[in-house]
Amino acid sequence: MTTARPATPRGQRAAGRLPDLVPALVRLLIAVGAGAVLALWWRHTASVTGAGDWLTGAGRITGLLAGYACAVLLLLMARVPLLDHVIGTDRLARWHAMGGRYTVCLASAHVLLIVGGYALSSGTGVVSQATTLVLDYPDLLKGTVGFLLLLATGWLSARAVRRRVSYETWHHLHLATYLAVFLAFWHQLSDGADFVTDPPARLAWYVLYGAVATALAWYRFVVPVRQALRHRLRVAEVRPEAPGVVSVYLTGRRLEALRARPGQFFRWRFLAPGMWWAANPYSLSAPAHPTYLRITVKAAGAHSAAVARLAPGTRVLAEGPYGAFTARRRHDRKVLLVAGGVGITPLRALFETLPGEVTLVYRARRPEDLALRGELDAVAAARRATVHYAVDEPAGHGLPMTARALRRLVPDIAGREVYLCGPPGMTDAARRALRGAGVPRRRIHHESFAL
Amino acid sequence: MRRAVLATVTTLAGVVVLLSLKPHQSTPAVGAPAPSSPRDAGPSSGSSRASHHAVAGTSTGTVSSTPYGPVQVAVTMAKGRITGIKVLQSPTGAARSRQIAAMAVPRLTREALAAQDAGIDAVSGASYTSQGYIQSLQSALDRAGDRSH
Repeated sequence: MTTARPATPRGQRAAGRLPDLVPALVRLLIAVGAGAVLALWWRHTASVTGAGDWLTGAGRITGLLAGYACAVLLLLMARVPLLDHVIGTDRLARWHAMGGRYTVCLASAHVLLIVGGYALSSGTGVVSQATTLVLDYPDLLKGTVGFLLLLATGWLSARAVRRRVSYETWHHLHLATYLAVFLAFWHQLSDGADFVTDPPARLAWYVLYGAVATALAWYRFVVPVRQALRHRLRVAEVRPEAPGVVSVYLTGRRLEALRARPGQFFRWRFLAPGMWWAANPYSLSAPAHPTYLRITVKAAGAHSAAVARLAPGTRVLAEGPYGAFTARRRHDRKVLLVAGGVGITPLRALFETLPGEVTLVYRARRPEDLALRGELDAVAAARRATVHYAVDEPAGHGLPMTARALRRLVPDIAGREVYLCGPPGMTDAARRALRGAGVPRRRIHHESFAL
Repeated sequence: MRRAVLATVTTLAGVVVLLSLKPHQSTPAVGAPAPSSPRDAGPSSGSSRASHHAVAGTSTGTVSSTPYGPVQVAVTMAKGRITGIKVLQSPTGAARSRQIAAMAVPRLTREALAAQDAGIDAVSGASYTSQGYIQSLQSALDRAGDRSH
């Protein structure tokens, strides 16, 4: 956020309600846009006569919606601070993933329906109609390539395939969708019946895509570059915290101007051999300090393992801060933080800074996996908060993720607001247990990056 | 999974509802009258089947512009009957327009020859081209009628 927030209680209350309203408002806006696109079709269609017209009509509707959805999907991923800080990066990513699958289906339906519809109304075969479409229609060769690229990335993002490729590979191939959307854009204007005959509609389409392209260029390129030049981050020290877990201390200039709030994360690009081409998201594991930032990373893949070997002095590009997993989500004075493994990192920062009455439950596999334990104890003592540690091994110190166990540990759990962060299996179980213990869904705040 | 089913069903239903709310009769293009009603618009409303009973020769219609391109036809008449319609111009810009024209124009010609009149139905899926065709044909018939007086 670049705007200063008033520190008055009234301002805080308003800020507290804002997060509930914005997602609904954004969804409403998206729906209104879709309605406008449908209205465009409605205005340009006099009648629907015969099977060919039905198919072509359905093809035009699905095509218009797919074109609109592409713009919306890109906007959701443009890292616009307002959307990101209020809706949350993880939720935007989930919307994007859901919408992406839907859009691939819409585009496929559009292709099949248009080929079928045109073939029926002109009395040609499907194959020859498809050939005519691709080769003779303006910009449709480009559009076809774009569609095939979109299908390929859709297939790549399917869960079964995702598990077999690394995050970095998937991420880079995913960038091909920019090319796909760019290629598919032109045929919408030169072949789309609603745009060929309607200059204002054409202009509106240019404005929509132009605005999205500008937001992408600005927030994903200009702002990070400016930030890198301004803050000049470098690795200061790498400190082991637990088996396979290290903390990286980073120094730079005017770090307070980043306005990173506890609970937020950056996408870090370490300019070291073999690492510079990937930007991975890691949460700040301590409140941002004017002269240093700290992240805590567990070796889970090639990239995170290489973090442990970073040499002091390595230059770092940080994009951010991102995420809505902050104090702004809080409505209540009483808070429970539930951490699983390295999920402690954003909660460690929140544990120190969240106002009110805070209790932390921290689960790990073994006692030595409980990273940052010393400073958590120190924070707990300083603010008179409670920390409950739980480990699976040795047996007897575990915490079954059930409503009963949680209620026994934190008797007033139903009246608390919960911040939850950990590996997917643990957070799913925790969420069910919390709901069972009487915590309403909207008071469970959760951040995950498992797509 | 439930979400996917819901999204599919909603989209499908929405598309079908939208399509079914539109009229399903081939509506005559704007400006062209229904076959039986007398033409009551335009400066040369006197033209009708009766007025060109003694007309012969070729008459060229005005260029009628459509969003997809110009349409112009010429009619050949003998003993007051339309014996031939030649298409001088039809949309050639976008491939879709060419394809539509290639599909619609012969059908319009066939209908006009059968009806001996410009009061023909628009071809579905080619309403703009039909409208242009009908307008140009009407003006050609009007000119033929004027010349005979």
